[in-house]
Amino acid sequence: MLAQDGGLHARDVHVAFGGLKALKGVDLKLRQGEVLGLIGPNGAGKTTMVNVLTGFQAATTGDVTLDGRSLKGLGPRNVARAGVARSFQAARLFRDLTVRQNLEVAAIGSGKKRKEARAKADALLDWIGCADKAAMLAGSLPYGDERRVGIARALALSPKFVLLDEPASGMNDQECDELMLLIAGIPDKFACGVLLIEHNMQVVMGACRRVHVLDNGKSLAEGTPAEMRANDEVRRAYLGSKNTGSQVI
Amino acid sequence: MLNFIQVLFDAAALGSLYALVALAIGLVFGIMRLINFAQGDYLTIGAYALVVPTASVTPPLLFGALPWPLMVAGVLATCIIVALLTERIAFRPLRNANPATLLISSFAVSYFLQHALMLVHTGRPKSIAMGSSLAQAIDIFGVRIPGVQLVTMTVTVSLLIGFVILLKKTAIGIQMRAAAENFQMARLLGVRANKVIAFGFALSGFLAGIVSLLLVAQTGTLDIKMGIMPVIFAFFATVIGGMGSLAGAALGGFLVGVTSVLLQAYLPPDLRAFRDAGVFALVILVLLVRPKGLIPSSASRERV
Amino acid sequence: MVLRLLKQAWPVLGLLLPLAVIVLLADQFGSISVERSVTEALIKIVTVVGLYIFIGNSGVVSFGHVSFMAIAAYATAWQTCCSALKPITMSGLPDFLRSHTYPVLPAGISAAILASIAAFVFGLILMRLSGIAASISTLAALFILNVVYSNWDKVTMGTASIVGLPTYVTPWLAFAVAGLAMVIAYLFQISSWGLALRATREDEVAARASGISVYWMRLAAFTLSGLVMGMAGVLHAHFLGTISVDTFFLSLTFITLTMLVVGGMRSLSGAVLGVVVISFVTDILRRMESGVSVSGQEIAIPAGSQEVVLAVVMLLVLIFRRDGLTKGREFAWPFARRQSISETKHGDA
Repeated sequence: MLAQDGGLHARDVHVAFGGLKALKGVDLKLRQGEVLGLIGPNGAGKTTMVNVLTGFQAATTGDVTLDGRSLKGLGPRNVARAGVARSFQAARLFRDLTVRQNLEVAAIGSGKKRKEARAKADALLDWIGCADKAAMLAGSLPYGDERRVGIARALALSPKFVLLDEPASGMNDQECDELMLLIAGIPDKFACGVLLIEHNMQVVMGACRRVHVLDNGKSLAEGTPAEMRANDEVRRAYLGSKNTGSQVI
Repeated sequence: MLNFIQVLFDAAALGSLYALVALAIGLVFGIMRLINFAQGDYLTIGAYALVVPTASVTPPLLFGALPWPLMVAGVLATCIIVALLTERIAFRPLRNANPATLLISSFAVSYFLQHALMLVHTGRPKSIAMGSSLAQAIDIFGVRIPGVQLVTMTVTVSLLIGFVILLKKTAIGIQMRAAAENFQMARLLGVRANKVIAFGFALSGFLAGIVSLLLVAQTGTLDIKMGIMPVIFAFFATVIGGMGSLAGAALGGFLVGVTSVLLQAYLPPDLRAFRDAGVFALVILVLLVRPKGLIPSSASRERV
Repeated sequence: MVLRLLKQAWPVLGLLLPLAVIVLLADQFGSISVERSVTEALIKIVTVVGLYIFIGNSGVVSFGHVSFMAIAAYATAWQTCCSALKPITMSGLPDFLRSHTYPVLPAGISAAILASIAAFVFGLILMRLSGIAASISTLAALFILNVVYSNWDKVTMGTASIVGLPTYVTPWLAFAVAGLAMVIAYLFQISSWGLALRATREDEVAARASGISVYWMRLAAFTLSGLVMGMAGVLHAHFLGTISVDTFFLSLTFITLTMLVVGGMRSLSGAVLGVVVISFVTDILRRMESGVSVSGQEIAIPAGSQEVVLAVVMLLVLIFRRDGLTKGREFAWPFARRQSISETKHGDA
């Protein structure tokens, strides 16, 4: 192992909402420079896991560390400033701000001066191919653009790790392919690890070298996409769930 | 000791009055996230329905001249109709607005009703001879309790019991509770929104009518602004008790009334004038320590 | 270069120029009563712009802001008014106020600063709350201040009016302060803090995830808006020459909020336009209430109509045009090519 405990590391994370146990012991390690897929049937606890990793949800027990430093007790804002950014399932853009301002806000939030923030925003808009829409109101963007702007906003924080919560949902095949390339390029371009939560297996297979499977609040398996496809337990978890079974495997 | 018991009775009487107003506000808040400032104006209008609109300071009686069962019915009907009208005309079109917009709109409705009433009755305070038989004090074990206070407490307690039965046992009551817990879910389960909300407003009008009668019986005066302070206290009471929780609203109303009487009785005289500031500060304090109030309604945390 | 600057400053200039014309006309040709109405409206602009700085950018409705007006109005009164009576009527004042009278300018400035300090202190507590709970506490704050100032007899003369303040506010002075308030509001709104605060208004959760401190951004805006409210309070006091605590209560809160909502609470243009429209309407109604002669006959509408109409206008706007007349946009640079949907989208008011 290189740095003793580099990366974003969750150890034995439990989360209970009253009597309902959403997570029952998840171990997950996200390394610098990789795209890790986080998959699992509906209700497996994927979004809860993202919330724990980004400070939106306190773990009942267990701990999350970033490069060896515990993130315990830091709220979402401080986790974001420490270097873990996220996007949201429903993009949650600042609808009445322009696209550029959406990105600027995050760059300002990471401590940048106004001028640098604007430069950062413009560079990111170029990267996602939305430079021409910089002055549009975010609320008037088409769906696919909204998603990409959401990802760009997370990256505008210049994070060490970025967590993308179902960025491809609702996209058509062509959009998915473009998105896949974009995501796969994040580690090299931004020196940033990616956790990709996604239902669309095509995107996961295309963007990730490693996949972590959650089922029923627990880590079920981890390995290459091919290994996961061949894994009996993973098959069973998915086939047991009617929603996604056929689409996945 | 006797003095203390007297204070306790005062506290209980005022507390139960606030509890009634708070209950009305809590009811409407529960089903449509609306903090209805106009509640105070419902009760003002109900009180003014007792007299004929004139500029006179001692106006001739209107509903006030009727035998008491008819008088009560007349005032209640007036309040209920006004409450239903405001719901239909002003609040229904805004049903999906955010709470802040709703709050502003209820401010506007209140402002409208208050000044419309002023157009009809002029802004002068009026006196009205009513319920003089209630004003006589009754002697119980050496404690003199004004009849009005006894009536207030009796009415409040029976109404609270009535409400519990209504909400727990009747179909419409159960639907209202369901709507207060989770409005979207209740709709999915077939609760008819218009009906439940209208019923909630009718109940709040009913409570306003009762409170206005009790207030007039206590003070014998009419004032355009007579509804403001009870509704403000009651409104803060619902916040303290937990917005959306009916038990919380009643409890909060009671607490605010009791606190206010106790502060009045036991604060050093120099500070007594600032009593209300203490009650209002209590609101901010409770919100800071328990943002959802003392008896929170079902958690409505935002899902990320 | 000049053009660029002009374009950048347009949202303020575009508002100030028409206002300057109105003031000029009122000053040259208007009767005294018109002149007074215009001055009053300009003071309202300062007030509503003050409200806008916080409410418009944060999206949190505050019912307590007129308290800061009261704080500044009283502070300037203590410093400038009635040197002979002060020691008797306001015996509780500290000596440096009781037995001294100060020039109006430092008095006004220090009073506005005191208001912003008060806003900061209140804000430290209130801004911990969000959404509806924050609005409710601002209302509680309004009541607390009202109770305190109404009963602090030895310092505020209780509910009685303090009279005899120097009345130095002319239309042009009010115009200058309104301009200053607008510049402050605009600079804040385009600053990075302003931008961050607007982001929290749009989506608090996403703003936190973007590293923005909702608390500090709101507190900053609350303090700054307290300063502008303080400026309004000083103008108000020295325009009328008399102040009383009940002027700064529910009625003023309602009227100023109406102006903000009618104009569109999410833009500076909306704040200003709302004041102009509502002031115009209420002024006409007020004149009709006191009687106008139509073809030789004196006709007056009943007193109170003004408020009823105001409330109806407010409700109609809330129901049919929730974003206000400007729909929350700034006035656009009028000579640009027509942009489809952009940050300078034309307010179609």
